[in-house]
Amino acid sequence: MEKQQLSKDPYNIVITGVGGQGNVMASRLLGNMLVRKGCQVTIGETFGASQRGGSVMSHLRVSAGSVWSPQIPKGRADIIAALEPVEALRVLMRYGNPEVMVLTNTRPLYPVAVIGGELDYPSPEEIGTTIRELSAHAWFIAATDEAIKLGNPILGNIVMIGAIAGTGELPISREDFREAFLNSMPATKLDVNLRAFDLGVEKVKQAGGLKPVPAPPK
Amino acid sequence: MMSKLIAQKEGVEYLLMGNEAISRGALEAGVSVACGYPGTPSSEIIESLCRVAKEGNLYVEWSANEKVSMEVAAAASFAGMRSLCTMKQNGVHVASDFLLHLAASGIRGGMILVFCEDPGALSSVNEVESRYFAPMIEIPLLEPANFQEAKDMTRWAFELSEEIKNIVMVRSVTRLSHGSGNVIFGKLPNTKRQAEFRCDGPILDPDTGLVFSAPVVYKHQLQQEKIKRAEEIFERSPFNTYEGPEKPGVLLITSSICYLYCREAISLLGVEDRVGVLKFGATWPLPPSFLKRHLSLTDKILMVEEVRPFLEERVKILAAGMAPEMGIKTFYGKETGHFPSVGELNPDLVVSALGKIMGINSYVGMPADYEKKAQALASTKTPQRDLTFCPGCPHRASFWLIHNALQMDGRRGFVCGDIGCYSMAILSPAGGFGVMKTLHSMGSGTGIAGGFGKFGQFGMEQPVLTVCGDSTFYHAVIPALINAVHHRANMILIVLDNGGTAMTGFQSHPGLTVNAMGEEAPAVDIARICEAIGVKVEIRDPFDLEETRETINRLLEDEEGVRVLILRQICGLSPEKKAAKRYEVRIDEALCLGENCGCNRLCTRIFRCPGINWDRQKKKARIDEVICAGCGVCSSICPAGAIKREEAA
Amino acid sequence: MEDGGMGQRELQREVIDTHLCTGCGACVGLCPYQTSYHDRIILLHPCDIKVGRCYMFCPRTPTNLETMRKSLCEEKDLTPEIGAVKGFYLTRATDEQIRKDAQHGGSVTTLMTLALREGIIDTAIIAEGKENFLHRGVAVNDPAEVKKRGKSKFIVSPTVAEFNRAAKGEAKKIGVVATPCQVLALAKMRLKPVPVDEGNIDKLKLVIGLFCGWALSWRGFMELLRKKTGLDAVVGMDIPPRRHTLEVYTKDGTIEFSMEEVNSCIREACHYCFDTTAEFADISVGSARLPGRWEETRIWNQVIVRTQRGDDLVQLARAGGLLEFREAPGEALDELKKSAMEKKRTALKSIAARSGSSPDLLYLDRFDPVVRMLQG
Repeated sequence: MEKQQLSKDPYNIVITGVGGQGNVMASRLLGNMLVRKGCQVTIGETFGASQRGGSVMSHLRVSAGSVWSPQIPKGRADIIAALEPVEALRVLMRYGNPEVMVLTNTRPLYPVAVIGGELDYPSPEEIGTTIRELSAHAWFIAATDEAIKLGNPILGNIVMIGAIAGTGELPISREDFREAFLNSMPATKLDVNLRAFDLGVEKVKQAGGLKPVPAPPK
Repeated sequence: MMSKLIAQKEGVEYLLMGNEAISRGALEAGVSVACGYPGTPSSEIIESLCRVAKEGNLYVEWSANEKVSMEVAAAASFAGMRSLCTMKQNGVHVASDFLLHLAASGIRGGMILVFCEDPGALSSVNEVESRYFAPMIEIPLLEPANFQEAKDMTRWAFELSEEIKNIVMVRSVTRLSHGSGNVIFGKLPNTKRQAEFRCDGPILDPDTGLVFSAPVVYKHQLQQEKIKRAEEIFERSPFNTYEGPEKPGVLLITSSICYLYCREAISLLGVEDRVGVLKFGATWPLPPSFLKRHLSLTDKILMVEEVRPFLEERVKILAAGMAPEMGIKTFYGKETGHFPSVGELNPDLVVSALGKIMGINSYVGMPADYEKKAQALASTKTPQRDLTFCPGCPHRASFWLIHNALQMDGRRGFVCGDIGCYSMAILSPAGGFGVMKTLHSMGSGTGIAGGFGKFGQFGMEQPVLTVCGDSTFYHAVIPALINAVHHRANMILIVLDNGGTAMTGFQSHPGLTVNAMGEEAPAVDIARICEAIGVKVEIRDPFDLEETRETINRLLEDEEGVRVLILRQICGLSPEKKAAKRYEVRIDEALCLGENCGCNRLCTRIFRCPGINWDRQKKKARIDEVICAGCGVCSSICPAGAIKREEAA
Repeated sequence: MEDGGMGQRELQREVIDTHLCTGCGACVGLCPYQTSYHDRIILLHPCDIKVGRCYMFCPRTPTNLETMRKSLCEEKDLTPEIGAVKGFYLTRATDEQIRKDAQHGGSVTTLMTLALREGIIDTAIIAEGKENFLHRGVAVNDPAEVKKRGKSKFIVSPTVAEFNRAAKGEAKKIGVVATPCQVLALAKMRLKPVPVDEGNIDKLKLVIGLFCGWALSWRGFMELLRKKTGLDAVVGMDIPPRRHTLEVYTKDGTIEFSMEEVNSCIREACHYCFDTTAEFADISVGSARLPGRWEETRIWNQVIVRTQRGDDLVQLARAGGLLEFREAPGEALDELKKSAMEKKRTALKSIAARSGSSPDLLYLDRFDPVVRMLQG
């Protein structure tokens, strides 16, 4: 395995969401894909109470050769992938910066205090505007809705991994996903997961990849 | 699919979770027996070993509690094998009585205790420092600082243990145990040791004599000689390292995951040429010569560690003794207020402390204008996300019923809590409906309730209840229950039996028919234990709302002695339930009364299952089909019959 | 009501916390927030609706009694002491078996049975005994079922809750046997103070009120009973007039409790009650108070007919020979009025003592003509 050149070293990825959305699995898969490519990866995450509706966050530090802290310093995220829209905002407030790229699953999961009526949940438009304001590139992907079409909403996390790959920011391919998947998951589930991955890649490419989206004609 | 943990190939590199790295280290050391009690963040060590038990010819068990687990592991050591025992920070306190005696008797085969602590209490109800057991009980303490070390130090700890013939403590923390990193594998041994307990030799012979702590003064002396030996070994340990310039302006002294925070902070500040890091892998006993050599490099020392100043205190004591030769050093750390003595650390906190000492204030983590903008735009749009019982969780139904029964009873009854998912009941929004009023250690709810239940003679009229989980029942409830029965305490124990150790990821316990290694096992029945103690037991399903509520009220009326109610319903996340919805649930909007008198959003305002949302536009409840687990309980509480459920196909 | 709320929070503050709650059940069965347990009303969970039926229907939240008298009764029949009087009789069931199963003359059982049989109502809500002297309201459709439940209850039953439940269901014409507080709750519902479920209250076709001096608090009374007898031994109870005792009949004979003992277990809310004769019922029925032997008197009832539909039913019973009538001595009505006024006067004093200020009469209006008359 040759040493990888990264656009930054360490390259910092935050995968965030709500307990039960498959956050941890997503970070492991992505981590394994990168290790396959010869990267030194450090993942920091909190779970334990994560299944119980709390916010969860995985920090991935990707480097050509060094072990970095399992916690990303404040303001130093390069890519934020959010399985839940409000969690993207929460992470931006601590780890965001003007150059950060944000991939957001558009399906909200309401906190109990919102369901109960004590707190408000922002509208999709407010979330969209705020994320655009606080990032250099933003993609909004209906990952859960696409996953439901594939037969299981949990595949939303794989759609988001595909989307990360689709940005072209990291040295990872479909083949890396396939290999990493087969290393930890049953082969019978590979096909549908590959489809979810491809969908994520496609969604980002459709939106123009990393190039800024051209302004609509006046 | 074979687990990568028993990959034979030397030198391969895998992404491993810290806990998996510890497991691999134990396997490379040729461990034969591994035991533990589940507790975040330690559980994955035993879990991953369970998966390779057969291929690796291991004996692995989830023991009834931490003390028993350490005893089983000790037996393995007495039989000449290598053994591993794991637990979370609280567990060391449960096991400490045995640990105290074991440290004095000494061991034979290498035995290590891996305890995983939780600075910041990310998934605990305390952030206790169990490192202090090492000096208190006089056994060595190791603290791996990254994922590779988690493996390598675990392996080495067995050698150290055999070298000094005593148990060795290895401490991990959440950020290491639950983090992941690249780990290069070492060699797996080919042979396993034969188990034999040799006990016919001279009484005091460490390899063939009796295993006990007497004659006490003699054995204590022996134990302290072992510590002296460990100290000598630590003087040359490759896990105690220094990196940095020959004459650093500031020396950081650290251990555990804080080592990575130190390195990151130095890099962020760009002070690689002015700051050194002295990292201790072996933190008790500290090797004095090694320490002195590095303290002598500089005058300013910053102690970087989480929670209490364990290392700081010991370094300062040794430095005081060295001062006549070495000179007086300036120490920064918790006592100077450079770090808090609570919560976990991170790179930013180290940057801030180091920057303060060096007079650097140019570091910008997040540009100020960006931070201002982010706060202004996003802080009002990020509603707090409280932990809550999962959709389909039987505990929500159980606490709903306990709450309603206590309200109806009307004598201000309360629940003494315990450790498990149901601990969340102490926070009202989580779905406990405010009934739980005390929360301490495993089993303590029953002990406390047994106390309250005796205070009728002092005028106490409130009914006393306690809850415990099934796993907790075996862990520490039984003695408390026996005590309450014998003393005729007036109390009700409600066992929230959800069929496994759910909180930590569904580990097996003695009530199940399968053990940790997947073998068939005799289930020890909770009801029969209670009956044998002399308690009448009733068993109900918390999803049968009305019948169960009536039962609780009847038990409350019956004021004689100890009463036990088992509320049995399997956890919604259990492997057998997770895949399948029992009911398809939907809202009949024509019937939903919404905010009107007659309902006022009972399901979303009070019951608060995350599977039901409130549609603010339509002013109707709505099932989120992605979240709903299909338990159907909400359909029983809807006053308008608007929540419809149908048996799922 | 500082913030103008008239919901559960105010119900708790003004009625539950002040021990004014009668346990009638008017606030139960309408929503999931209140329930009844034993003889108490329980607030299960908080409800923040500003104007709730629980508060509006409660007989112990402020009520304009004068408006109610004028809307539900004919003005010419009104008396300040006992409300509307269209007719006053002494009656008893002609059926001996009914009398035997009833507390006194069996008139209520007879009238309810008749109303069911004639289709005046299709559902009768009556109180039914459960274990340990607890009661609940039950809805019955079969006249024979009414007969089984003829005894007086000394503990409150949440009868109005059962009306709320039945009114939501199949029943179309409902009759209720109720104590004065329950009758007041039903009367408040009939005035339709909140625009919800109006069709349900229209199903109420007959209210037979029971004279009531007080009820016992269940927990207190259980403790008292346990001191003298086993709960299983009790077969019945009564309060003979002018003897100042409660008689408890057991398998082994009669046990007497002095009124001092009994008073200590009276439900606190009953001290604040302004109505002993169920003034807003169609017909009110109580035990007769006659000169002479109690054993002879106790098998008769005093009956006040208050409304036209009440009168129709009583006349139907007379015509069918189901009720036997007896000339009421002239002083009987006066005595009833006198004792009713005495109770109202005591209630006003107790209310003022509870509120701590004599102009503050809690649920009563100090400008109500009857109240003014008493306060002179």
